[in-house]
Amino acid sequence: MTALLEVEDLRVDHRGRPIVDGVDLSLAPGEALGLAGESGCGKTTTALALMKLLPPTLRQAGAITLRPAGEDEPINIGKRTEAGMRLVRWRHISLVFQGAMNSLDPVQRIDDQIAEAIALHERGARARKLGARVGELLETVGLTPAAGRRYPHQLSGGQRQRVMIALALACNPSLVIADEPTTALDVVMQAQVLDLLERLRERLGLALILISHDLGVLAETCDRIAVMYAGRIVELGPVSAVFAAPQHPYTKRLLESLPVIGGRRGVATPIPGGPPDPGDPPEGCRFRPRCPYATDRCLADPPLREVAPGQSAACHYAPWAEWPDVAAAPAAVRP
Amino acid sequence: MSEPLIEVRDLAVHFRARGGAARALDGVSLEWRRGEILGVVGESGCGKSTLARAMLSLVPPAGGEIALDGAALNGKATLRELRRRVQMIFQDPYQTLNPRQRVSAIVTEPLLVQGVPRAEHEGHVRRALEDVGLEPDRYLDRYPHQLSGGQRQRVAIAAALVLEPAGLICDEPVSMLDASVRAQILKVLVDLKERRDLALLFITHDLSLAWSLCDRICVMYLGRVVERGAAVDVIERPRHPYTQALVDAIPVPTAGGGGRRELLSGELPDPTRIPPGCRFHPRCPRRFEPCDSVDPQLLATGGPDQVAACLLHDPSLGRTAPSAERRE
Repeated sequence: MTALLEVEDLRVDHRGRPIVDGVDLSLAPGEALGLAGESGCGKTTTALALMKLLPPTLRQAGAITLRPAGEDEPINIGKRTEAGMRLVRWRHISLVFQGAMNSLDPVQRIDDQIAEAIALHERGARARKLGARVGELLETVGLTPAAGRRYPHQLSGGQRQRVMIALALACNPSLVIADEPTTALDVVMQAQVLDLLERLRERLGLALILISHDLGVLAETCDRIAVMYAGRIVELGPVSAVFAAPQHPYTKRLLESLPVIGGRRGVATPIPGGPPDPGDPPEGCRFRPRCPYATDRCLADPPLREVAPGQSAACHYAPWAEWPDVAAAPAAVRP
Repeated sequence: MSEPLIEVRDLAVHFRARGGAARALDGVSLEWRRGEILGVVGESGCGKSTLARAMLSLVPPAGGEIALDGAALNGKATLRELRRRVQMIFQDPYQTLNPRQRVSAIVTEPLLVQGVPRAEHEGHVRRALEDVGLEPDRYLDRYPHQLSGGQRQRVAIAAALVLEPAGLICDEPVSMLDASVRAQILKVLVDLKERRDLALLFITHDLSLAWSLCDRICVMYLGRVVERGAAVDVIERPRHPYTQALVDAIPVPTAGGGGRRELLSGELPDPTRIPPGCRFHPRCPRRFEPCDSVDPQLLATGGPDQVAACLLHDPSLGRTAPSAERRE
């Protein structure tokens, strides 16, 4: 199947200091890809680069190709100008960003805001004639038309996040990027919003890139997962494979640090130190200084390569048949 | 069983709101024992942070009693004692530290407030910093902006520890931190509990975290405790439909995830209009006839020391109540 989105060697830098350092991705139509990693690893920057929404102080390079159904020619996002991107954003790719629910206009009714967004992106559409479509959109995300007549402050956080999703769907895009869409919500609201995203994906055939630091959220929502560390993807594969048998020590330690009800109680051994600045990464493998399994071999930079069917990891020692006891592992570069 | 550090009985806190009084706490009773980790969980707006503030008399109660070490709080002297014996740390270490104070001043301030002799300050401050894993000589002269999020939270913990309290109230202490930093801070807290026999009151919306750390858990809903018991029992075998719904909503970080689940519909009602009868009944998947008129008290559930405010456990309704066991 032709990929909906292909990203090759995406790089983003700030005055020569890399923030995203060579990301390759591909996404099938209707697929949900999770982007995991800690703050500062480049998840959000990657997402913004896909829509060319980076602030002017950041420069991006690399090929981004989108092939929406119904378009004869692939859209070469990497080469589009700002004016050209305006035809792509919202029409083909839309974004639900973190805290987006606070970016609604506080003095405009919800349904008017949605109608205005559609009118802005579709030539010929008149805001006043969009009532039925707005009602349908609100219904799609589980809100009543009555909620549409309200102002943002009259809605709860979960309802406002639904409005943001309705906005993202307004022009029938083929790809929605959601950056931490549930982080500000409680578990019950979070479950409702995730459930909604999943149902919409099935019904509308949407592809989804879901960014979250919460691996549980990604496990429940995505088909594949990409784990980022210091500006690069260090592991990529089907959710079931990565969670059952992670092949990068960072993924493994991250998973171990999460309590799983019914498993072992208590605090997991923390990963020492913090993630490096992607602009000033350590020599060789970027996880090396924190990796309990690191050896001298790790002073060479490991490429991301396939280590199991569909699963890639950037680790010299992958695939790991078994994980050695940490105490017995070489302590060559342990801090 | 150890002695209670703080005992709260029928505590109520009301806020003035449009449409009448918002009953943020509506009769909460619990005991927080010495050296234990007590978890308080629930959705935002359930009253868990108000409970923490009320326990330190930071918000005036509308009713109820608070006792410290078995003695009821009255007057300024006991209040001062309470605030020395029990300290609090908050969610956002970026907002709680004064950006214009150095670490040394931040950690010394509680000693000044409580009138500890000046000569003893340095020793206390250094010990507190060492206890949270910050080397005093490296960090004493830094400002908050020179610290990472994890280091800031450590400084906040050090400032809370410097008076050698018996209890530490932690209001979502790690919810703003990344996975690897989160584990480091939790380790600091649990080590302190062990080393100093510190009691921790852990307020969180993260049920998996509460399950993995706490000895006991209180589940709150709309200003009340609706279930209480050993952490393992409450989370693995919930006896209140609300707890069950919370547990079902947890996204599971394992291959295959948690599968389809029964989702709670609707949202937390407005605390100015608490529903009659059981406050959870409008959202409850298992409500039956008396739920909209009878306000359930905490009832024994059969589990050891596990109580739930749910009529499913009322023996006098035995014949009309559906089975308390969950239908699979």
